[in-house]
Amino acid sequence: MPEHLDGDDKPSVSRRRFLGATASTAALPFMGASAARAVADPAVKPDPGALLNVSLTINGKDHRLGLDVRTTLLDALRDHVGLTGSKKGCDHGQCGACTVHVDGQRTLSCLTLAASAHGRVIETIEGLASTDGKLHPMQQAFIDNDAFQCGYCTPGQIMSAVGCVKEGHADNDDAIREYMSGNLCRCAAYPNIVAAINQAKTQMEG
Amino acid sequence: MTVAAPTPKANMGQPVPRYDGLAKVTGSALYAADFPHLDLAYAYLVSSGIAKGRVKSLDVREVRTLPGVLDILSHENMSDAVAHAKFFSDGGPVSNSVVPLSSPEIAYAGQTIAVVLANSYEAARDAAQRIVVDYDIDPASATFGSKGAIDQVLAEQSKKHEDPKVGDFASAYAAAPVKIDAAYSTPTQHHNPLELFATVCSWDGPNLTVYEPSQNVYGIKNGLAQQLGMDASRVRVISPFIGGAFGSKGALTQRTAIVAVAAKRLGRPVKLVATRRQAFTIATYRAETRHIIKLAATPDGKLQALSHEGFEVTSRPDPYAVAGTDASTRMYACPNIVSNVTIVRADRSTPGFMRAPAETPYFFALESAMDELAIALNMDPIELRRVNDTMKEPIKGLPYTSRSLMACFDEAATAFGWSKRNPRPGSMRDGDWLVGWGCATAAYPTQMAPASARVSLFPDGTARVETASHEIGTGIYTVAAQTAAEQLGLPFEKITVALGDTILPPAPVSGGSITTASVCSVIAQACAAIRGKLSNEAVGADLVEALNKRGLGAIEEYAEWVPHGAKAGAMQALYKGAAQPIGGAKLEDRMQFAFGAQFVEVRVHSQTREVRVPRMVSAFAAGRIMNTRTARSQLMGGMIWGIGSALHEQTDIDTNAARYVNTDLAEYLIPVNADVVDIEVIMVPEEDKLVNPLGIKGIGEIGIVGANAAVANAVYHATGQRIRDLPLRIDGLMPSA
Repeated sequence: MPEHLDGDDKPSVSRRRFLGATASTAALPFMGASAARAVADPAVKPDPGALLNVSLTINGKDHRLGLDVRTTLLDALRDHVGLTGSKKGCDHGQCGACTVHVDGQRTLSCLTLAASAHGRVIETIEGLASTDGKLHPMQQAFIDNDAFQCGYCTPGQIMSAVGCVKEGHADNDDAIREYMSGNLCRCAAYPNIVAAINQAKTQMEG
Repeated sequence: MTVAAPTPKANMGQPVPRYDGLAKVTGSALYAADFPHLDLAYAYLVSSGIAKGRVKSLDVREVRTLPGVLDILSHENMSDAVAHAKFFSDGGPVSNSVVPLSSPEIAYAGQTIAVVLANSYEAARDAAQRIVVDYDIDPASATFGSKGAIDQVLAEQSKKHEDPKVGDFASAYAAAPVKIDAAYSTPTQHHNPLELFATVCSWDGPNLTVYEPSQNVYGIKNGLAQQLGMDASRVRVISPFIGGAFGSKGALTQRTAIVAVAAKRLGRPVKLVATRRQAFTIATYRAETRHIIKLAATPDGKLQALSHEGFEVTSRPDPYAVAGTDASTRMYACPNIVSNVTIVRADRSTPGFMRAPAETPYFFALESAMDELAIALNMDPIELRRVNDTMKEPIKGLPYTSRSLMACFDEAATAFGWSKRNPRPGSMRDGDWLVGWGCATAAYPTQMAPASARVSLFPDGTARVETASHEIGTGIYTVAAQTAAEQLGLPFEKITVALGDTILPPAPVSGGSITTASVCSVIAQACAAIRGKLSNEAVGADLVEALNKRGLGAIEEYAEWVPHGAKAGAMQALYKGAAQPIGGAKLEDRMQFAFGAQFVEVRVHSQTREVRVPRMVSAFAAGRIMNTRTARSQLMGGMIWGIGSALHEQTDIDTNAARYVNTDLAEYLIPVNADVVDIEVIMVPEEDKLVNPLGIKGIGEIGIVGANAAVANAVYHATGQRIRDLPLRIDGLMPSA
């Protein structure tokens, strides 16, 4: 079986390399919010080899990561935090498979630099169910309505669907279809996704 | 029951929710790029910007000094690393016989010409984009009609292909009173599964583990071993969840061997997640096709003559063809038939199978022409199909094992409200919208392949099913568990299923709608063996009690199942990853097909010519339906692919450069949620005891077949404009000046 991130075995040289940036965080001074600003400031030329200290709250847990300035939020989640539920389908903001919530807003994590999410609250598919394992109504509705086949776009669809309801864009089928059209499903489960959102919205609002 | 879980009719299984539903809605299902690895290095491909010529120089000096860059692979250091392997339709494992990095030669645009290996994805990507390539450019042939493209008769290039023909077409066509002679075309299309083409290779001494989304894990295992010159027993391929495939993950692509060599050289696991743009050229695609159809009939609609000429683009080295005339010539009773297929060699990567590879383009032509014939005859298009319906295919007179075509037409027509249709084009206007109703026949060959499985029954009342099949979204985990539950008399929840791993007994490629029929057949056989061991207990007996009475720790049965018509040695070929599906029109003694009927309503805006599809009703009869929930979803997905095939999908080619231009998901259009409104799927009960013991025909592809023609036929009904070239877009529908 593959190794897991949360194992408690002693870090080895190779394990440190796997954890990469995360493990080296401790050696860097904590730069706080200025780190994120530095990226946007053209006067400051960051050393491309240096790691940026980025602090994210992901699914209620605080993470301090040392990241390459070019790392997207999606790659930070997948490669540095070990949360691989969010998927890469295009890396261009065209498919929606990477959708997560940033400060409660649905956001394309592939078009978001991790550094720009510094200090923000991130919610991913892994954090949607209750800690006791009870599924979010949207997750249950996706199962009940068979709103997926291969399942690859599903985490993004569900995060987007939750956002769609919270934004008040799920009043009728036409609105749902329009506001869910940024999430491609190549298996074409679309009518079932609309049905799932209709089922879940009542429970979410109730 | 909800709409998503239709009440089972005769010969249909329960709509059990998906076995893997929980994993998929919580993000815990692990796809190939999701497995964690220690000490991972990243690969990023550099793709050729030209279609033909050679790499003159590759300037990597700056790139080698970038932080994090580990190595750069190119023809300068990889020329002997990967052995040439045969193209799969020549009996080999690979989807494209051009071996990238084996020489500076370039055979198609997007060919991999270098690979950067680095400590991080960001460093690998940055370095790859900084490599300066200088090319010698040769003129390239892009497609039909391009200078240098070579036409070849398929029957002369491929021993497997024989052009179906019967009677005397020329005389019958000349003599018949009503005729159609029309040319059709379909564009290049790409599968674009949402999951990118990822590969992770990891070595442990001489043993290689590959994580890759695959429709054929044994194909990768054996093919890769051949390419790397190693024993196949040292290769393990893991692929428990596949993020969509549609044919693109069937044959072994050349990327896998490169990643394996990279991992070996670095002594570290290497991950490649190719970009969406690269997905257009590192795997396969549906090639563009052209068709000429001639039909002739008596005034009462009986077909007298049918000719189907097909033209398909392929690559220079590999003679890939879908040759849909095999099916299109056999759908209707007709005494005089002729057909031929021409392949056109161009400087392109090799095409491959994509959902209903043959039937999607060939039935667009046939079913459009049938609609044109119905109009020429002043006949209802359903009645035209009815008078030409047959229980024997016309070429050799072989009987269909079952054929419920007209039952599908009748059920779908009733549900659709076809009787309210005014046949006159343009007569069903609704405000600014021109309304059109169209229909078409769907059919798909019922094929199967040898399969093996192991089923274990335990004293605690649980059972385990193991077979190296592939969950590409079809629901095979679910129907495999349902089959074992039913055959062992256990609750569904007591069954575990392991798939997608070459440590399991081999299952065939998950393509051609063969998986459910092949895999459930062998699972049922292994379960029967367990019943046999427990004193020939019948289905329904308490096997767990019998097991406990004997004090056994477990019963484990391995089974092999071979379909009707399989060649000698087919089971051994399965172990080599090379089992060939058999069935459809390829049997000596009978015809095996599933049938359906597609009904579409279109609305064409009278001013803007925007086309919408507000409603689609289709009926399918495909033998036993294992699970009405997963089956409905799969058929619905196929139907929506049909909408995409008609209205959206086209890979545009720059014919001067022989290069694709719309290589991303914003410019390669596929249906989105707002494109799909009301989709009704009708499953027509059908029993076929001949195809296999469980009577399963397979439903993965039939949903798309004919749907593109039904859309075009509906557009004709709305506007009086016959569109014979897909995709059907606004520019083709502007009223002629």
